[in-house]
Amino acid sequence: MEPVIAANNLSCRYRRTEAVRDLTFAVEPGTIFGLLGPNGAGKTTTIRALMNILRPSAGEVRVLGVNSRRLGAKELVEIGYVSENQQLPSWMTVRDLLAFCKPMYPTWDDGFAAKLVTDFDLPLNVRIARLSRGMRVKAALITALAYRPKLLVMDEPFSGLDPVVRDDLVRGVLERVGDGQWTVLLSSHDLDEVERLVDAIAFLDNGGLVLTEPLITLMSHFRRVEVTLPDGAAAAEAADPAWIGRSAAGRVVQFVHSAYTGPGSDLEIGARYPGARVDVDPMTLRDIFLAVARHTRGGNRLPSVNAEEVRS
Amino acid sequence: MVLPFTVVVRTGRSLHDQVVFAATKAVVTGQLSPGDAFPSVRTLSQELGINPNTAQKIVATLIERGLLESRPGVGTVVSSWQPSANPARRALLVADIERLVVDAKQLGIPVSDVIEAIRKAWK
Repeated sequence: MEPVIAANNLSCRYRRTEAVRDLTFAVEPGTIFGLLGPNGAGKTTTIRALMNILRPSAGEVRVLGVNSRRLGAKELVEIGYVSENQQLPSWMTVRDLLAFCKPMYPTWDDGFAAKLVTDFDLPLNVRIARLSRGMRVKAALITALAYRPKLLVMDEPFSGLDPVVRDDLVRGVLERVGDGQWTVLLSSHDLDEVERLVDAIAFLDNGGLVLTEPLITLMSHFRRVEVTLPDGAAAAEAADPAWIGRSAAGRVVQFVHSAYTGPGSDLEIGARYPGARVDVDPMTLRDIFLAVARHTRGGNRLPSVNAEEVRS
Repeated sequence: MVLPFTVVVRTGRSLHDQVVFAATKAVVTGQLSPGDAFPSVRTLSQELGINPNTAQKIVATLIERGLLESRPGVGTVVSSWQPSANPARRALLVADIERLVVDAKQLGIPVSDVIEAIRKAWK
């Protein structure tokens, strides 16, 4: 099936600054995709390009099968968009806002909008100007969900929100589960927050793509390795370019195995450090990003991993 | 809807495995009885704030292990499960026991205390 979003060598330039360069990634239908990276990595720029708010300086991004530059009314009624600093008309009440948005979307579902208002505990008669930030994000999310778009794009939807509001928003997004092929792209700098939510990710750093992969394979081929050498043994250099971020202190050698395959890798490590005690631990998404970003910021490349080999 | 079992999610471990473990524990300890309704994929996903595809895989694993069954028109229910003789999972358990023994030795916990702790947990 054709990806819902496909970026091909996408680059965007603001005057002389290249905000993103040469991004290639694809968002498959029916998945939740995380566009992740620190502030300034290029996440918002990428989203602005795919929403046709910004013109790419090179390459292209296709959304729902159409080049972003040609996105029209037909596609836009199938895309929901919530951005971090969305400007909602502050003089309107939530009720006014819903009535204002409804005529733009033929598929607007009043019942679904009403359910979300109840679930979100949102007051209908209060002006938006008087709502808290969390309430405003909820209102924005309702206007983006109520017409049941095929694609929901959220730029840093959870940043600066308290955990209860965040939980409500996640429930709202997951409300569409089982609604067929419905796809979500969300950006976040908080990796712990999205780890449970996403099917696949793209890591951005300094405007470049560090890696893009389904979460399940990514988590399976990254491991933190700690080797405790026997007395008198010297710490051998890394044997494999996939062993990154190696450090040695006393008898302990630590590194991240970026292409771990299970028993085969255990044997390889054992052969490199005979007689040593080896501890191998899974890593969080956040730890993986840190390890990879340090490695690539040092000008190194990450060896590519054969996903089939990892799965077997 | 509140989940009929407790999941304490820790980072760094597979979410799928943790939820499968929590649900298995609820079934084998009798907290959930055969015929009890099991939460839908949507409920599981919303209550735990997890990816729907992960929730789907969790339910599929529990069905494959014979702990749940899907009844048309009713949904997913706890099945009248039988102990499983899966050799691969038995092998994994042996590895876990070895880890337990090594840790207990290193911490100086005598075998009698370990057995006593296992007896307590067994109930």
